[in-house]
Amino acid sequence: MSLSVDLATPIAMGILLGGLYSIIALGLSLVFGVVKEINIAHGDLVILGSYFGYVAMTVIGMDPILSLIIGIPIFFGIGFAIQKYLLNRAFRISMDATLIIAFGISIILQSTYQLVWTPLSRGLTTAYALESFSAGPIHVPLVYLLDLIVAIAVMFFLREFLRRTYLGMAIRAAAQDWKAAQLMGINTNRIYAFTFGIATALAAVAGVFLGLTFPFTPVSGMSFLIIALGVVVLGGLGSIAGTLVAGMAFGLAQTLGGYFFGVAAQMLAAYTMVLVVLAVIPRGIFGR
Amino acid sequence: MKSAISRLRGGLTPFITVTVVLVLFPVIGVPRLWLLYLFLFFIYLALANMWNLLAAYSGLISLCPAAFIGLAGYTMAILTWFGWPYYIGIILGSIAAALFAVLISVPVFRMKGIYFAIGTLVVPEILRYVFTLWAPVGKPVYGGGAGYMVKNVSEVSQAEIYWLALAVGIASVLLMRYILRSKLGSGLAAIRDNDITAASTGVNVFNLKLYSFVISAFVTGMAGAIFYTFQGYIEPVSAFSVRWLIIIMLATVIGGEGTEEGPIVGTIIVVFLYFLLARYAEISLIIQGIILVSIMLLAPQGIMGFIRKTRIYHSLVRGGF
Amino acid sequence: MKTPILSVTKVNKHFGGLAAVISVSFDVQTGAVLGLMGPNGAGKSTLLNIISGEYKPDSGTVHFQGHDITGLPPHKICHLGIARTFQIPQPFVNLTVLQNLQVAAECGRNLGKAATEREALEILDIVDFLEKKNMFTRDLTALTLKRLELARALASEPALLLLDEVAAGLNEEDQF
Repeated sequence: MSLSVDLATPIAMGILLGGLYSIIALGLSLVFGVVKEINIAHGDLVILGSYFGYVAMTVIGMDPILSLIIGIPIFFGIGFAIQKYLLNRAFRISMDATLIIAFGISIILQSTYQLVWTPLSRGLTTAYALESFSAGPIHVPLVYLLDLIVAIAVMFFLREFLRRTYLGMAIRAAAQDWKAAQLMGINTNRIYAFTFGIATALAAVAGVFLGLTFPFTPVSGMSFLIIALGVVVLGGLGSIAGTLVAGMAFGLAQTLGGYFFGVAAQMLAAYTMVLVVLAVIPRGIFGR
Repeated sequence: MKSAISRLRGGLTPFITVTVVLVLFPVIGVPRLWLLYLFLFFIYLALANMWNLLAAYSGLISLCPAAFIGLAGYTMAILTWFGWPYYIGIILGSIAAALFAVLISVPVFRMKGIYFAIGTLVVPEILRYVFTLWAPVGKPVYGGGAGYMVKNVSEVSQAEIYWLALAVGIASVLLMRYILRSKLGSGLAAIRDNDITAASTGVNVFNLKLYSFVISAFVTGMAGAIFYTFQGYIEPVSAFSVRWLIIIMLATVIGGEGTEEGPIVGTIIVVFLYFLLARYAEISLIIQGIILVSIMLLAPQGIMGFIRKTRIYHSLVRGGF
Repeated sequence: MKTPILSVTKVNKHFGGLAAVISVSFDVQTGAVLGLMGPNGAGKSTLLNIISGEYKPDSGTVHFQGHDITGLPPHKICHLGIARTFQIPQPFVNLTVLQNLQVAAECGRNLGKAATEREALEILDIVDFLEKKNMFTRDLTALTLKRLELARALASEPALLLLDEVAAGLNEEDQF
């Protein structure tokens, strides 16, 4: 009897954590689905968002969530520039080139963080970040709930954007068949840049909420990238709802892994699941 | 045996001369700093050659060399705690790396293309966690496993370590030459270009990829174990760190993927950079990242790729390398 | 009644809801030429893919020279003596024409390096392609690529040759 009550908290936390993981994965999924590239620098862009929130908090004294008002456009611009000037060109060279260049960007970002903010771990420790709430036997930090609410809200907006705006439809067209899209007068290179920009803006949002939820270091990007990759593959490309569900699956893997095997093992549980997902899910929609 | 030798011919004389000179370096009293940089050069050369084998010749972008480096290093270090001499540790470490490669090939080879790269990205991270938590010998350091000193290596001379590195570096060059001129090499070239057609012309795609993956793991592990013998201690964060990958990628890309000389040229440059930037630890990584991105965008075939296109090269090479 | 060199028996293949090949059976005698004709989308390429091992049939068997080769991987089938061309030519783009053939001769027939060059040159001569031997395949026209496909298939010295061509919608199967 007490086992199921004890289990309730990790299960609840896992589901809520899924919200955070799905926002982190959302940008990655968008880029993968539309531009067909895996941006392995995505994790580090998310952490850039976390550091942005940190700077807003410590230097300007602004609440990090509020800082997203400036953050989102800035990050959109950064992403747009990266795709337009770096990755679009890499595309024309080869698929491997985009991987290597994304890797290079990742290294540049990580080492810049080390330089500017030292390897010390940081956190966005606002007043509400430390609150928790209880519902019956469940006791969870408030931010976890916030993560899920924001995740659902963001996904809702993204879905509407893709459905109803011209840009959104152009993106979907380019995702499905870029040659046909080009023939229809859509400048696919521009679309890719816009998509990457949106994905990076999403990374900013993810980063701020990540910073509110967990402490982060210059190298945290990799850990979250790996989980995000698992979420993207499990959730299925192009499926926003799938990303949410997959995020929850990984959240649960982590919290339940921690519950059964000890706190230190929770990331291990999540990573193993990523490996299993990658091996088992049929060989990619873009495989031969 | 004869065919093996004939496969290695071509530029053999200068090659042997250079090798003999390098071997004699510690004996003739070359400055210790030189030996240090040459040591690094040979280790990185072996790593770059093996990465090149996978990326350029087998079409496998492997993001997990650190897994083999760290695993072999840990095997060697842990064995020294049981009283085994370091050189046995190096061999067993390499074997451990190769076996691990066979093990992970089961899930990882099911992943095609980009998914393979992602899968290999996860592996070193998993190993890092495992070795941070697991302390097979000695008293657990705070937090679990953490690092190990390598025992009984303080009496090992710098010359011996240098020769080991030299051996693995030279061996990697010879191995590449042999493979590329062998049936394995032809098969790999075919796989890289079109693995479905390759299969229809009789190439056992899965097996060949596996062979090169395991060979690469073995030599990569060996280089790693030798490195940790020299360093004298090993800990999980740096053993499985992504820094190994960037050095390797940089060396291969600068030098020119898909060429035999590429990794040699690239490694020279990478070690030179290391020497130049030794004082500026964090900036050096940023610079390496910038160089990697720039080279990929501006000169993706690297130095050798660029040189190959010029006529000077053709006239030099008509004698045959 | 000699054993047919190729014997396809009640082969079926579905892709999801699409039935590509439905209960196909036929025999081919040694030395014979069999043409498979049908409109686009009839399943001709799929059938060839099944015979050459790229696909496994859902049911039915394929026998070659008396042995059951159903479900064997493509490289094994090549070693047993079946070679094929592809509808859309798939050359090895970073290799020269000669090297394309050499790979086939080496891996399909297990020859040593010197022998593969000889064999490859001989085949290039037969197909009347000798002057192109050192060209890279990306510099060739579409039509010459098809000739290369044929030459490459011949390089593995097959007993059965499967030709999958788009031109004029005609397919042929040759044997020699």
